Amino acid sequence: MTSLSKVFDPQTVLLAKHAQHVVLVHFPIALFLTGVAFDWAGRWTRRKALVETAYYNLLIAAVSTLPVLVTGLLAWQFQLEGQKLKGILLLHLVLGCASSVLIGTVWWLHFQARRRGAGVSGYVWMAEAAGVAVVGLTGHLGGFLAGVNVG
Amino acid sequence: MRRGVCSFVLMAIGIAAAAFRGGGARSLLASAGPPPASNVEVKIDNFSFGPATVTVAAGTTVTWTNRDDIPHTVVSDDKVFKSKVMDTDEKFSFTFAKPGTYSYFCSVHPKMTGKVVVQ
Repeated sequence: MTSLSKVFDPQTVLLAKHAQHVVLVHFPIALFLTGVAFDWAGRWTRRKALVETAYYNLLIAAVSTLPVLVTGLLAWQFQLEGQKLKGILLLHLVLGCASSVLIGTVWWLHFQARRRGAGVSGYVWMAEAAGVAVVGLTGHLGGFLAGVNVG
Repeated sequence: MRRGVCSFVLMAIGIAAAAFRGGGARSLLASAGPPPASNVEVKIDNFSFGPATVTVAAGTTVTWTNRDDIPHTVVSDDKVFKSKVMDTDEKFSFTFAKPGTYSYFCSVHPKMTGKVVVQ
């Protein structure tokens, strides 16, 4: 099988060990960070279109955390056979779950505000800032585990 | 004179027999066959196994030591041996009783591969 045909081979793609987690994780990270940026820009400039854009970014970010969580947990179960984690792997798991909860919470706060027909509360920026920090730290550990720092 | 020759031959046989029971025989056999069974170290560093391929005699114990900053595992392709997740400076050992070629990889980083050839 040539390298090009291997790229489009469903078996190679679907059974690529835990590569799916490494690929999918980029979606919630990018969407959440972009969503928060749009939200802060919308509040700063008082432009409703930016706040609307932020909402949909946060919505898709929250949805995309689900396959990331599932593939991460499957990687733990299949690749490491669910063995007790420690060190960086354990910290990555805990922070990954915390990131998902924070992304979901931020979207839910925006959702509630839209249902009330009002803007989001002032304190939501704190949840967003915490989310950015935890997502960034989780991504840093994930990159370290994946070996992006290899020289 | 004949008795002296016989004594010399017997003495020579005795010395040869004593040498054969000692280390001399072992070194002769070792040079003809596979390397002697012992302990072999494989270092895990910078996302690679070093050396990537080791050739050992049956009965040899191979010890992998994680010198990397991040966790790794050692899992054989055919599940003959399998380590737990090893943090920095942790070790895993396996004794290879049967001859064969054992390919292995790190299950956290499947691109990391190595091979143990048991003779």
